[in-house]
Amino acid sequence: MASIEIDAPGTSQLFIGNEAIARGALEAGIGFAAAYPGTPASEILGSLAAVAAKVGIYTEWSVNEKVAMEAAAGASYAGIRALTAMKQNGVNVVSDFLANLVMSGIGKGGFVLVSCDDPAAISSGNEQDTRPIAKWFDIPLLEPGDFQEAKDMTSWLFDLAEELGTICMLRSVTRIAHARGNVTIGELPHRQHRAYFHETHDLKSVMPTPFMPIPSVPRHKLLHQKMDRARERFESSPFNRYVGPESPELLIVTSGSCWLYSRDAVRALRLEDQVGILKLGTVWPLPEEFVQIHLGRSQTILFIEEIDPFIERSVMEMAANLSCSEAPSVFYGKRSGHINAYGELNPDIVIQAIRRILGVPYEPRDADYADRATALAKSHVPERSMGFCPGCSHRAAFWAMKTALKLDGRNGFVTGDVGCYGLGLGPTGYFQARTLHCMGSAPGVASGLGQLDRFGFSQPVLAVVGDSTFYHSALPALINGVYNRSNFTLVILDNSATAMTGFQPHPGTGMTAMAEPTDPVDTEALCRSLGARVEICDPFDLTGTIEVLLRTMAEEDGTRVVMMKRGCELVRKKSAGPPYKVYVDTEKCIGEACGCDRLCTRLFLCPALIWDKDAARAAIDDIICAGCGLCADICPQGAIVKEAA
Amino acid sequence: MSDEARGCRELFNEVIDAGLCTLCGACTGVCPYLVHYKGRVALLDNCTVADGRCYRHCPRTYSDLNEVSQKVFGVPFQADELGVVRETLLARSTDQEIQHKGQDGGTVTGLLAVALADGFIEGVVETAMADDKSPQGVVARSRQELLQCAGNSYEPSPVLERLNRVTRESNEKLAVVGLPCQTFAVSKMKAYPAARDMNIDNVRLVIGLFCGWVLTGGFHQFLQEKFDLSRVVKFDIPHHPGNTFDVYYESGKESVELDEIRRFISPGCSYCWDMTAEFADISVGSGRAKFRGWNTVIVRSEAGAELVERARARGALETRPLPEENETHLKKVMRDKKRRILSQIIARTGDRSDLLYLGLPDEIVSRLLT
Repeated sequence: MASIEIDAPGTSQLFIGNEAIARGALEAGIGFAAAYPGTPASEILGSLAAVAAKVGIYTEWSVNEKVAMEAAAGASYAGIRALTAMKQNGVNVVSDFLANLVMSGIGKGGFVLVSCDDPAAISSGNEQDTRPIAKWFDIPLLEPGDFQEAKDMTSWLFDLAEELGTICMLRSVTRIAHARGNVTIGELPHRQHRAYFHETHDLKSVMPTPFMPIPSVPRHKLLHQKMDRARERFESSPFNRYVGPESPELLIVTSGSCWLYSRDAVRALRLEDQVGILKLGTVWPLPEEFVQIHLGRSQTILFIEEIDPFIERSVMEMAANLSCSEAPSVFYGKRSGHINAYGELNPDIVIQAIRRILGVPYEPRDADYADRATALAKSHVPERSMGFCPGCSHRAAFWAMKTALKLDGRNGFVTGDVGCYGLGLGPTGYFQARTLHCMGSAPGVASGLGQLDRFGFSQPVLAVVGDSTFYHSALPALINGVYNRSNFTLVILDNSATAMTGFQPHPGTGMTAMAEPTDPVDTEALCRSLGARVEICDPFDLTGTIEVLLRTMAEEDGTRVVMMKRGCELVRKKSAGPPYKVYVDTEKCIGEACGCDRLCTRLFLCPALIWDKDAARAAIDDIICAGCGLCADICPQGAIVKEAA
Repeated sequence: MSDEARGCRELFNEVIDAGLCTLCGACTGVCPYLVHYKGRVALLDNCTVADGRCYRHCPRTYSDLNEVSQKVFGVPFQADELGVVRETLLARSTDQEIQHKGQDGGTVTGLLAVALADGFIEGVVETAMADDKSPQGVVARSRQELLQCAGNSYEPSPVLERLNRVTRESNEKLAVVGLPCQTFAVSKMKAYPAARDMNIDNVRLVIGLFCGWVLTGGFHQFLQEKFDLSRVVKFDIPHHPGNTFDVYYESGKESVELDEIRRFISPGCSYCWDMTAEFADISVGSGRAKFRGWNTVIVRSEAGAELVERARARGALETRPLPEENETHLKKVMRDKKRRILSQIIARTGDRSDLLYLGLPDEIVSRLLT
């Protein structure tokens, strides 16, 4: 498969949606792209960074999404086309800057925000539709229905952004971002970028400093005028189209990947002659005249979209203005309960909705087919629960925290954060994390709890963040805790990687997105400079780590930091083999008997530890064992043996 | 209460969370889940074993005292004030160094030194005080190591946790020195031995120490705040008419009023009816005011009698019969205590047939209560 910078106009390339978006940005001649990693958006900047030096653009993994967007805005102000891409949570992080940016307007360089939503929260903490922010903040918004559109829309949005002088937004979803499809590519502009920030005091202008939201009222009015112009452009956009009979019995209104589900559903039901599909690509502001014309085709409308009823409600608002004779009689969708307003959609859901509305029969296969297919698929899959990788340092860290909290005996607990270690909520982290919200919230929540001694609160609090999350947004909460003398311990699980999203560099790593070395930030010195007491430990030294935690929790005076340093196993094993050969001495293993009760396979739960039911003994799965040897340290019988490999 | 096989969940419900735990250490050191940590038994994770040694050997889970007595002494449980008695004595070590370091007459150290020297045992599981004077279970294998264990900390020591480990790790012949609750737990280990992982038959001798109560729940912190513990050489609560807790330095002593430390008395001790370690081979207490520097000794078993005889013959132990006045007093104290504790237990359970951990025939209960 070709790299996104392939210079072969007119050829068809197999790209994942995120690569198609990146290619679209290259074809638009961007010079600057900044982002913070987050699934499902990460490959947009990742693929741009991989070719940045070659194509002469700048790319950056920024410390967080807000800084990424501000940095990209700086480029736009200096006349450089700029892109920032993020998952839905990132849009929340940038929202304050964004709300001001729509008022200030962008610079001469077009500026595009790509938001990748994650319906069903496959790789997210929350499920959230970011399209409403376009309506809330007045941002022109497009939604690609396939991979070609992902590229073409991205490219076109830069032109639109420059024409309107406002940021434009592309909303993608996981199934576009990570699925792969054919994209016919266009020309690369080979642009020579020249950056210059034009003098701010333009005496002819009423407003001496252009890039600011004030005076708010006239700028707000101006923004609405920009949106009106966007609507006019959308009326004739090729990204909106209708397929189906002249006057269908049922009209589906859809957008994004739901366009593909809708088409599949209509084909599967063989209802092409009865059901029409209005596919919208420009979803905010809605091209009202275009939509009205097509609404007139049918008395029955079904909205198919992920996640919120965004188009559904916008069209219904619009319909309220239509005269009675023009208004369609029935709207189906999330409001009517025919489509769920949560989770992912798929062709089956659409088929069922159409069946209910039109009363058509549909029996594609035997009733028990799905059960049989599931059983067959399961027979090929090893039985494993979601957990930390074999050899992961987080397992050791949570084991140490669990043990220390139990020994401490004051019913202490962990506030969790976003990263691989978010699994600390579940069995692989021994159910230790008791809160989990957005990035950086572990120390934030802890800093509040740490003030409650005045109300009788005496439970120790461990706030757990990863190293990348620490820089992203945990730092302000740490400062807040230290300065206000909040009683909690910040545990930084420093594995020197942004592991969950694909090992992007962060300020602690000493490497930039463009693979250039830079001076890493000294996390320990940074924490000490704030006045926090800092202890360093290696989580694989369980005894030492437990001692450090017990000592730190006992201090009860201000905010402390425990840095647990141990590199990500997935990074380590790229360059070195397993450090230990690990095996079970079945003579010593006592399995379920008193004195053990299957500690390793019942509680410790490394995926490489397996319970041999027939022998009633533990065993090691050599195929996946990372050879970390940690299980040898927790086995109460000394039955797990590690030998230097 | 019943005598069904149970595990750590029931142990917590019936003993630890019920305020009966004496921190003897019998349930710790056998598995990865129960850990003795800073004067508390911590449960590190859930365990699903239905028949756990933790529950089986706990001195505060239900025990049929007759059955245990039969298995340990070969006779039914003696409901008398002092339990099974072969001989009562006053005794003291003839070794000046042992006498000096010992709590009273140094009888325990003196006896054990003889047992070690004769090869009757190879190690003694007992309590030594760390530098900060917190008690910890150790194995003493020489006279010198024995001397380091002399003296009383008045805090509960998880000496049985050490026993659990050493009986798993080694095949040595052992003596155990413990409080009444601990000697009873050892009896339960002998009466209901674990299927594996424990060579309990290697415990050849159990020496019990008279005990009224131990001090827990912040007592160590109280000591740390009041005294320079690294310089302390001995603690003592002198017998009647003394009313102080004495802290000895090389240079002299400091005292606190006994009333000041009563609040630290372990709640579990208030349900204990055994002050003289009735399930030990030999029980040792102080000689009371009139016989300062002597120990009161109750010889109970054949093994105990043999060792006392050997020590006397060796000239290592000086003994004299326990004066009748002392014995009468001791019996009265024990009788009163047993009656008081039984009444207290019945007041708690509201049922004469439910005596918490004490499995006693009703006629014995009746006799003790009258």
